[in-house]
Amino acid sequence: MTRYVMVMDQRSCIGCQSCSVACRTWNDLPMDIIYNPVVSEGVKGEWPNVHVNYTPLICMHCEKEPCTRCCPTGASKKDKDGTVWVDHKKCMGCKACVQACPYGARDSSEMAPRFERYAQKCTFCRDRREMTPGAKPYCVDTCHQKARIFGDLDDPESDVAKIIGSVQTFRLMEDYGTEPQIYYIPALGGQR
Amino acid sequence: MNKHYWTWPIVIDLFLGGLGGGILAIAMAYEFLYPGLGPAFAMPVLIAVASLGLACFFLVFELGQPKVFLRVFVKATAIIKWGAVLLSLALIAGFVYFLSCLPWDIFAFLVPLQKPALIVAGISGLLVMLYTGIFLASLKPHAFWNSPALPVLFAVSALLTGAAVAAATLGMWPVTMSTLLQALNPGVDAGLVAQEAANTQVFFQGKLQTLCMALIAVEAFVLLLYVFLLRGSGNEVARTVAARWLTGKTAPAFWLGLVVCGLLLPLGLYYRFGEVAAAAVAATVLVLAGGCLLRFLVVYADDRRLVPGEKRFFDRLPHHDAAFLTAWDDKESPY
Amino acid sequence: MAEVDIHAPGVEVKKSCCYFCHQNCGVLAYVLDGTVIKVEGDPEHPTNQGGLCCRGNIALKHIDHPARINHALKRIGERGENKWEKIPWDQAITEIAEKLNQIKEESGAEAVATAGGTLRTEDWARRRFMNMFGSPNSFHNALLCWIPTFMVETAVCGWSPFETDLGDSRCVILWGYNPGASGMPGMRGYSDLQKGGLKLVVIDPRFSETASKADLWLPLRPGSDTALALAMVHTVIFEGLHNADFVSNWCVGWDELVEHMKQYSPEWAAPLTWLEPEQIRNAARMYAKSTPSNIQWGCTADQLGPTSGAGMHARMILRAICGNLDCPGGDLIPGPSFGYLTDEEIEANEWLPEEQKAKQIGSDKFKLTSWPGYQRIADTARETWGKAPTAEWMCEAHGPSVFKAILTGDPYQVRALIVSATNPVSSYGDSKMTLEALKKVEFLVTCDYWMTSAALYSDYVMPIAGALERPTIHTNYGVTDSVICSQRAIEPMYDRHTDYIFWRDLALATGAPADQWPWENEEEVFYYIIYPLGYPVENYDEFVEKYRFYYPPLHYYKYGEKGFCTPSRRVELKSSILEELGYPALPTYIGCAENEIDHPELAEEYPLVLTTGGGFMPYHHSEQFQIETVRYLYHDPYFTINPQTAAEMKIQDGDWCWIETRRGRIKQRANVEASVDPRVIFAQRGWWYPERGIGNGEEPFGCLESNVNVLTSVDDDHCDPLGGSWACRGLLCKVSKVSPSEIGVAPDTQFSIPGSAKEPGVSVLPKDSKLAFDPIPFDPKPSFEVPEGLVWDKGKRKAVQESTGFEYDADSGWLVDPESEVWYDLYSGYAFDPGENNLVDMASGKRYDLETREELASSGPAKGNARGGARKAVKESTDTATPDDAKGGE
Repeated sequence: MTRYVMVMDQRSCIGCQSCSVACRTWNDLPMDIIYNPVVSEGVKGEWPNVHVNYTPLICMHCEKEPCTRCCPTGASKKDKDGTVWVDHKKCMGCKACVQACPYGARDSSEMAPRFERYAQKCTFCRDRREMTPGAKPYCVDTCHQKARIFGDLDDPESDVAKIIGSVQTFRLMEDYGTEPQIYYIPALGGQR
Repeated sequence: MNKHYWTWPIVIDLFLGGLGGGILAIAMAYEFLYPGLGPAFAMPVLIAVASLGLACFFLVFELGQPKVFLRVFVKATAIIKWGAVLLSLALIAGFVYFLSCLPWDIFAFLVPLQKPALIVAGISGLLVMLYTGIFLASLKPHAFWNSPALPVLFAVSALLTGAAVAAATLGMWPVTMSTLLQALNPGVDAGLVAQEAANTQVFFQGKLQTLCMALIAVEAFVLLLYVFLLRGSGNEVARTVAARWLTGKTAPAFWLGLVVCGLLLPLGLYYRFGEVAAAAVAATVLVLAGGCLLRFLVVYADDRRLVPGEKRFFDRLPHHDAAFLTAWDDKESPY
Repeated sequence: MAEVDIHAPGVEVKKSCCYFCHQNCGVLAYVLDGTVIKVEGDPEHPTNQGGLCCRGNIALKHIDHPARINHALKRIGERGENKWEKIPWDQAITEIAEKLNQIKEESGAEAVATAGGTLRTEDWARRRFMNMFGSPNSFHNALLCWIPTFMVETAVCGWSPFETDLGDSRCVILWGYNPGASGMPGMRGYSDLQKGGLKLVVIDPRFSETASKADLWLPLRPGSDTALALAMVHTVIFEGLHNADFVSNWCVGWDELVEHMKQYSPEWAAPLTWLEPEQIRNAARMYAKSTPSNIQWGCTADQLGPTSGAGMHARMILRAICGNLDCPGGDLIPGPSFGYLTDEEIEANEWLPEEQKAKQIGSDKFKLTSWPGYQRIADTARETWGKAPTAEWMCEAHGPSVFKAILTGDPYQVRALIVSATNPVSSYGDSKMTLEALKKVEFLVTCDYWMTSAALYSDYVMPIAGALERPTIHTNYGVTDSVICSQRAIEPMYDRHTDYIFWRDLALATGAPADQWPWENEEEVFYYIIYPLGYPVENYDEFVEKYRFYYPPLHYYKYGEKGFCTPSRRVELKSSILEELGYPALPTYIGCAENEIDHPELAEEYPLVLTTGGGFMPYHHSEQFQIETVRYLYHDPYFTINPQTAAEMKIQDGDWCWIETRRGRIKQRANVEASVDPRVIFAQRGWWYPERGIGNGEEPFGCLESNVNVLTSVDDDHCDPLGGSWACRGLLCKVSKVSPSEIGVAPDTQFSIPGSAKEPGVSVLPKDSKLAFDPIPFDPKPSFEVPEGLVWDKGKRKAVQESTGFEYDADSGWLVDPESEVWYDLYSGYAFDPGENNLVDMASGKRYDLETREELASSGPAKGNARGGARKAVKESTDTATPDDAKGGE
């Protein structure tokens, strides 16, 4: 089986938003759609003893995804490789999936033309992976810091499997029970 | 995230769904309690059907993609699918029931379907009413919605709005009390029937108003319990929203709008001036406005637990009317 | 959502490059039928290895943006009215050339000046045009970006050691450099090496993206870098951490340096830098003990105003005395390219007459980065390397002085300005004065992608081809030995042309000889440049497709062969070139332009320290503000203020605030964040609002409203006397909330020279304004006793025989004719003939014995041509021998 996951190395991330912009241009997204913002609370602490932490967000491609279950039209789908995507032709724009996602990973544009307002989300660059075998999502390729590592968790030789098997990682909001498939390597105290 | 994915069309939709469902449920209940009374609810049922129709309209045209809307029925795990099924059912059955009540001969063939139609409409109406609450309560990320008490709150509110509309429009065209009594007691003197009809009208109106008062009390109790319990809950997001309702930005809407104007004022009106037509109308309008406001406040309480920094990021994004977003819309350079 | 198949038939992959900052990361452009359908980072490019930042990813939004200038525009309305006629490119060139020639005829070529932007243009071509036209007045923002550092370091050690050999390094100091926001490929390198043990020392007043990953972070007072550098040199010297071998073998001036540095202890620097002495010592120890180690240059070095020069010098000394020059893991001295042609070789500097060089504006004040200093350094470089640094960038007019000349006519009236790839209002200091100069200059031409505030006041606006529409050759200002090449993805759209074509067309139209501009496009000239590398390619594109880049083999310790390329062939800790130019020969501290210690009364009114000029994602200088995709993520200007200070002023995150210095005030929004000291604010640079249009015409595109350069200073005494860098960092300012009644207030556009909001207009002419310190008269004393009959020539620093012009060689005691290089006996005046190993009297042709000076029996050449013949014989043989050699051979 293939199970695509992504590892976010917070030790390397510097919050440049290159991935967000790259994604917006590669996928030609409407202005108000951001699949993968890099969020941060900013620099915290008492000067000069300060720290900062950047969290790249993206669709978690959850194993128990709440979004496809609440989709009435069957537009939200999950592939065998674990990636979740939306078939725009079938989406009626009810935004139930948007509200069901604990990570804010889905959105529907308010600035797109009236009848093109379907749910949009990251697909781990389905188009790239279909076009070129072995291709990675564009945000992974574009990251100068190599803070995003993409691969098949079921392949023990993959980078992601090795990292997740050896380095301490965490996932966001595991208490929702969605089993998100984005793993974060923490930057302790914001430092390297 | 400061973005509300669901805005007023959903508010209206939830409100109208609740209202329609409430009316149908009340009509069915009264038919069971007072067999034969059903047709007096023809007008309320018409209003229910209109509400549900309007709700459908909003769902289809304001939220969705009309082209693919029919796909709404395909996925069994989705609550919306069941909502849509029930809504359609209630809509059709309610409409059949209304037609069957019409005194015109062309609809006479529907008369045998009258009772089954009302039962179907009533039950599906009841479920639609519950569905509006269950739908929101099922959305786990939203702590303020994700509570088993929300369907109760919505159901009580739906019944209240339904009862209020029923009280105000009971025995109106096409089946007035006198036509109803005439039909039930053929051959009785018309004058007597008219006298009796007026009394019956007042009697049932009174009953319904009492029901409204009871429902107002229940709703006020459930509502305050709901908000105060969440104010003290362990969930930070729910706590924040509850605080916003009780003391924060939405406190005026909550206290003055919902509690005072939507509940206490109609309670007083029903209690003191129930027989005065103008007061009854005012109370009905206030109850409806209150019901709408409740949906509004709840839908806008869509706060989600955020990843640290998410708020800061999204707060710094521009408004959609920012000048740079439209400055170069003409797509051809003037230079 | 367009899903584009990059593998569809007919799609070509072009090895292009990103053009949105000067890293020039590699980009693969997928081209179908002359349209670029997708771009992505080139995984095989040596710079970015597939990565692309915010800037690089917007290429497709940029290429046909509805605000781009696509045709040559001729002004038909009043200036600034935004009324244009679209005319053909060639017509515009012809008309511009006519006007320039007219100005040249009436006022001299020097009345035409050109302002440039960043490294990304073909500016050797601009220089070639200017040299042939005859004007010395081209300039860039170069003075804020590395050039003064390059020149100071080159003066001290012969060629700036700017290439960090990080693979073998153990410690790197990122000094005022935030690659995390401005040089992403570099940041990746540091992050990778850090995992392998490289220690990262970050010197930054802000807890920047880079500082957040540092092993040691020094949060100093903005602008106090020089004090820190001096104190670090002090620590290294007095704790004995220097590399004694290197110092004694390869440095001169050590003893004077030790004596001079006594005053700059860490305790002295502590109140200036706001650091503890121990922090400074620790940093110095970490750097000096972890050799090989590096100091990475950052823009800060060149933006400190008057204090800049000493800091550059001190950092150079720090590298040298720790033995980090040109060694494995150290700071490598690339030297000029010996493979491909350098920029300097195609600039045609020989075309510019000496009298025109002397007219270069600012060269009387800021000598190091203009003709006087450049000439000295270039001559020295040619002696060693045979090649010289690029004159464009390294030898320019002083930009702010040119703007002042436009407004004041001092030293002479500049009548025409060609602005290429820059908006001076955003990028040069004192924006109000600069904007006024653009409004006032008689003839203004702008080459740009966008309608900027400079373009708006132009007589002609030229449409320039940008990213993907041009090939690019990257040689780091033409002063390194490697080259990275990228190709054109598509031909320029509309009537756009590249800036190379602009300069070439303009040169030909103004009458430059056609044989001097034989290359019709970039591909031809780039092929000409790389041809000497000897690759088996037929054209430039083939080189890009097959090889793309050329890195010569690494040679360490190059100085071992010929020494360093300074006058003494050593690292001149005490720099003779600086001394000659009238600057302190050893780094001598002066405070930054405005500081609380030297100007306490100013600090009372303006209690906060402003730092600006730092790069931030996703913008580059004043670029990309039109690109909605990135603007959506960063739509308003933010300045950073510490939560403690903000709380005192009741400023909340996101509030619009005034930032005010003596020169004016701007509006930015508060980013309340503990990333700066409570006494410091950090303001973003480059902001303008292209979406606003021309507004009331006074301040088009909101170009002054949030523009941080309204606050910076270009007063002569706020500029570095060496390189002319003006003051962007460490200025004093105050902050207050914008009150609701002030929201619509139009910015003040009143200009002033010198910069002061209280005294609009010209209150001091440039010729009357003083520098931060007076030039030190250069009075070299002879290091030997001047023999009787000779005089000491200060300029040449040689004893000279006045009657003949022969120079005295103190080591041998002989006279040398500088023209023929013939040696003459000091006392008898006889010439030495190494061919016959005896002396010749040039007048009589008689020969004398070398030792005894006794006349020899006649064996000389035939009479009649005795003199010439002797001279000839002497000349031929002196090419290889001197009298000392001859004596030594005996």
